[in-house]
Amino acid sequence: MRRRRLFWQLYPATLLITLAGLAVVALDASSSLRQSCIVRTVEDLESKGRLAEDRIVPLLAGKEYDEIDALCKKLGELSATRLTVILPDGKVVGDSRESPKQMDNHATRPEVVDAFQEGKGVSLRPSQTLHETLCYVAVPARDHGQTLGVVRAAVSLKAIDDALKEIRSHILVVSMLTAVLLAVTSLIIARRFVKPLEQLSHNAEWFARGDLGHRLSAANSKEVDGLAETLNKMAADLKDKLDMVVRQRNERDAILSSMVEGVLAIDTDERLLRMNDAAARLLGVDVARVEGRSLPEIVRSIDLHKLVAAVISTQQPVEGEVVLRDRQPRFLHVHGTVLRDTPEGHNGALLVLHDITDRKRLESIRRDFVANVSHELKTPVTSIQGYVETLLDGAMNDGEQREKFLKIVAKHTERLHAILEDLLTLARVEQEGEKPQSVLGSESLRSVLEAAIADCGVKAEEKSMQVQLTCPAELTASMNASLLEQAVVNLIENAIAYSPPGQTVEVSCLESEIEIEIRVRDHGCGISREDLPRIFERFYRVDKSRSRDSGGTGLGLAIVKHIVQLHGGRTAVQSIPAEGSTFSIFLPK
Amino acid sequence: MSIHLQREIDKIKRDLLLICSIVEEQVQKAVRALFDRDTKLVQEVQMMDEDVDWREINLEEECLKTLALHQPVAINLRQLIAALKINNDLERIGDMAVNIARKAAALATETAIEIPSDFADMGEQTQAMLRKSLDALVQMDAALARNVCVCDDRVDQLKKQIREQIEQKIRQYPERIGSMLRLLSVSRNLERIADCAVNIAEDVIYMVDGRIVRHQAD
Repeated sequence: MRRRRLFWQLYPATLLITLAGLAVVALDASSSLRQSCIVRTVEDLESKGRLAEDRIVPLLAGKEYDEIDALCKKLGELSATRLTVILPDGKVVGDSRESPKQMDNHATRPEVVDAFQEGKGVSLRPSQTLHETLCYVAVPARDHGQTLGVVRAAVSLKAIDDALKEIRSHILVVSMLTAVLLAVTSLIIARRFVKPLEQLSHNAEWFARGDLGHRLSAANSKEVDGLAETLNKMAADLKDKLDMVVRQRNERDAILSSMVEGVLAIDTDERLLRMNDAAARLLGVDVARVEGRSLPEIVRSIDLHKLVAAVISTQQPVEGEVVLRDRQPRFLHVHGTVLRDTPEGHNGALLVLHDITDRKRLESIRRDFVANVSHELKTPVTSIQGYVETLLDGAMNDGEQREKFLKIVAKHTERLHAILEDLLTLARVEQEGEKPQSVLGSESLRSVLEAAIADCGVKAEEKSMQVQLTCPAELTASMNASLLEQAVVNLIENAIAYSPPGQTVEVSCLESEIEIEIRVRDHGCGISREDLPRIFERFYRVDKSRSRDSGGTGLGLAIVKHIVQLHGGRTAVQSIPAEGSTFSIFLPK
Repeated sequence: MSIHLQREIDKIKRDLLLICSIVEEQVQKAVRALFDRDTKLVQEVQMMDEDVDWREINLEEECLKTLALHQPVAINLRQLIAALKINNDLERIGDMAVNIARKAAALATETAIEIPSDFADMGEQTQAMLRKSLDALVQMDAALARNVCVCDDRVDQLKKQIREQIEQKIRQYPERIGSMLRLLSVSRNLERIADCAVNIAEDVIYMVDGRIVRHQAD
């Protein structure tokens, strides 16, 4: 529907009604005015006729027709009326304007006929002689009951019509004025109607824009006021509901983002609906950048995709492991369930991601440990078993062979002993660590380091190496002296074992504000980058073939690590292949 | 643009990204199989290649169907054309990953030889290029795609170094020539994967900017 302004709806209707009313009144007034004018004219003419009759009757009786004509002319002029005297046979004997002899017979004129028959005749008609509408009134001239003729008085209606015309033009002017006045009033009324509505709709736009705290002002009319109030109430309700929704959403967000597990919600087209901070962290993406993207765009993992596809197609919960190998490999345990919006329909899948990288690593360490420890123990036992069997089979009778084999058996027994000793040390250190408070005394660091270097003196001399110590004498640290000595010995022994003969090993102490660093530096073969994170694991071998020749048990660094952990400190290692390694022990102050 | 066309293109994009994720994993596994001498990984790479092959054919048919049915123009047309070409490149990368895996399997059965240290670097570089080009595809990022094209020089240089090292080793241990040649073949395959990554990056630039940047000297 075409929308019109309120003014144009109001104005034409009002104008039409008003003008119609005016027209009806004007027509009615002018016709009744004319009627009353004519009635008065007729009365006037009748009285004039009667007056003239009085004078004419004697003359008629005497048949003095010239006198009659003269009288007519005189009276006609005086009263501004046309006077005509007609004999019963219709012959005109006197007229105030024309000569009676030239006038035709008036017997058939309606007013004359009426006058003879009914005593009075009135007629309105255009005059045949004067070309305008005239009002004729005829009265009979009677003398003692005998009708001698008819006196007719006539006057032109032109004056009346002129007056009426003037009245009509007045009415027209008034109508025009009314129309203009109406236009103005309509405009004002329309304005007064529209203004509060416009104000209301303008203010309601605040609501539309979301500013529900805004209140609509009251208008002057009751209806508009009611509307404003209803709108205000609606806005207030809406605001309450929105606030509640926002609050609930914030609560939900807070719950989701404080979860350790990653949570991902996706729709059936694999488009991301929601994702919490943990999920973004696990998948290594930026929450802001993945809004509305599809899962393959966010994380390229075929396993994850297959899991999601399985959830969506089977409508059953699915579990699986997903490995992300973008940078550092990450192992995720993923629970996928159907995401339902309504009880019957479904609109996607919900994924819960657990980071099991650490667990995987621990598992593999444990598995490796069992494999390694059995391997490490089995090698000497197999040798011992072999040589002992050879001896029993007869070799023990050969003196030279017997001694050689027994020496080998002794060597392997020593090795077994060393491994078991190290395992026991490790177990002891671990037990110490489990005690609520292990005994740590403040002792001089230098004496401990000197003792450790002295312990390694024989091995150093065998490879003609030197161990240099740089340590301020007054430096003390809280420690278990014998354990720490063991740790430093292990580091120095390693340094000697993996360096070519003649090199030096540097042991130094550095003091910072929060911790004390004991540094053991060698110029040996170094450790490759891949092996660095794992060398503190039990039995971890950098080079499987060479390590055993160097005589270590594979537990040395693990023991160091545990001892340092017992002290509440940490270990670190830096190494460049073929240039040497630096092992550091950090003890807290 | 009709909503149907948009839906088709979204689906094609999703399928393409799935192929991306499989191929990326193939390359990772193939390279790891080489270093870890792991024959189980080799089998996995070969299994995944079958998946890639049928997905490639399906995607190509989808693209052709969409082209014929919707007759797209401008960005949509470029997207479909780029998808077709990237699809092709991805399939080739998958095949090369299988090649590397086969060589790795053969090497795993022989006595271990020292793998030149540049190999680790080259493997990482190639995977990084592939990752970047696929990231550029996901994010429609022409700048990142241009970055991939620059990285290619480094991989070419590494390949040359490895070739020289292998030549030297062959002279040193002529009896191990078989293993050495396998290693050389691996380096060539890695280099070709890097080239395919560059192709993908160029297609991304084409898709985003509408400019063909191939065969242009910098």
